[in-house]
Amino acid sequence: MDIFVCILLFSGLFFLTAGSIGILRFPDFYSRLHPAGKLDTLGTLLAMLGLALFNLHHFSLGALLTSLKIMLIIIFVFVASPTATHAIVDAGVRAGLAPWTKGEKRR
Amino acid sequence: MKIIGLIITIITGAFLVYAAIDFPAWSDPNSPASTYLSPYFIENSMKDTSVPNYVTSLLADYRGFDTMFETTVIFTAGLVCFILLRISGGKEPETSHYRHVLTGVTVTLKKGHKIPESEDFERIDDLWTPPDLIIKTSCRLMIPFIQLFGLYVIAHGHSSPGGGFQGGVILGASIILLAISHDLRTALEKMREKVVAILCPIGVSIYAGTGTLCLLLGVNFLDYSALASVLHVDPIAARSHGIFMVEIGVGIAVMTTMIWIYNNISSAGKYNQGL
Repeated sequence: MDIFVCILLFSGLFFLTAGSIGILRFPDFYSRLHPAGKLDTLGTLLAMLGLALFNLHHFSLGALLTSLKIMLIIIFVFVASPTATHAIVDAGVRAGLAPWTKGEKRR
Repeated sequence: MKIIGLIITIITGAFLVYAAIDFPAWSDPNSPASTYLSPYFIENSMKDTSVPNYVTSLLADYRGFDTMFETTVIFTAGLVCFILLRISGGKEPETSHYRHVLTGVTVTLKKGHKIPESEDFERIDDLWTPPDLIIKTSCRLMIPFIQLFGLYVIAHGHSSPGGGFQGGVILGASIILLAISHDLRTALEKMREKVVAILCPIGVSIYAGTGTLCLLLGVNFLDYSALASVLHVDPIAARSHGIFMVEIGVGIAVMTTMIWIYNNISSAGKYNQGL
């Protein structure tokens, strides 16, 4: 059980770190939103799942309720985060920002 | 004139710094706040008010006056935004646009003409951009849950972090999310301008009215133990109920002020499609 929680937490941490590096390293607005939208969602999801499992260590009805609340957070992050990323990309397209192509300078 | 202002500012700042020297140091264990004030609240909050979360009991009971005027300040902020920005009446625009929802055809009408009342047409502005289906749908999905959570935060302020201010902000944000994801007209259909403008003072009045009720029952302003005779509970539980009534008032005031300020600022007081 502990090992499983550790694996979940560390993989969540890995994805969050990779997302942060991606935001710094990618060349332009749209490609930066790619790690920001995808990896942050996945990282939060895995870390939260690990916390929900860890919370069930001493099983009781109260602990189960807390875990269910964490699962609810997961569901709402899973809906809200990609929508927010989509909204930002949409705003960029409507404002007329051209995507970066190979050979151009980083923006 | 500028120089006089500068001198006044410097003198005021110097006074503030001079006054701040007398303050106890950060986290000084011998300061008055941590020798008797905080321990008193921590020890006696449960005994006095039967509220487990002593932040809430401190905010709405021990320090009730302060919170009441904080709510009034928020109400005043909303009112000022309304008075400064709202353009009522004024000139009617030369042309107005209506969009047929099903086909996307836009009809432009000259001044004075009106379209028959129908569900098929929506009023649009010059700078209209089509709302995004994905954002609209997922926001419609989220808004009821956000509102439910806001009510939970208001009602659960007694035993967990939360209360009227936080819950009111969440409730207001749900309506603002509707205005952002659709447009301001859709949000105004759910929460009309008049409703907002009436609910906001009502929220403040619920707070002040609870205090006045205590006054009429023969004790001090905002001394909720007097509500015991009205609610048929013992005085300590009555304090808890009084705090809850006050939190509801704060929640309503904060929610409507958020919506009021957003409505006025996002449409520059014109109440058209907004951002």
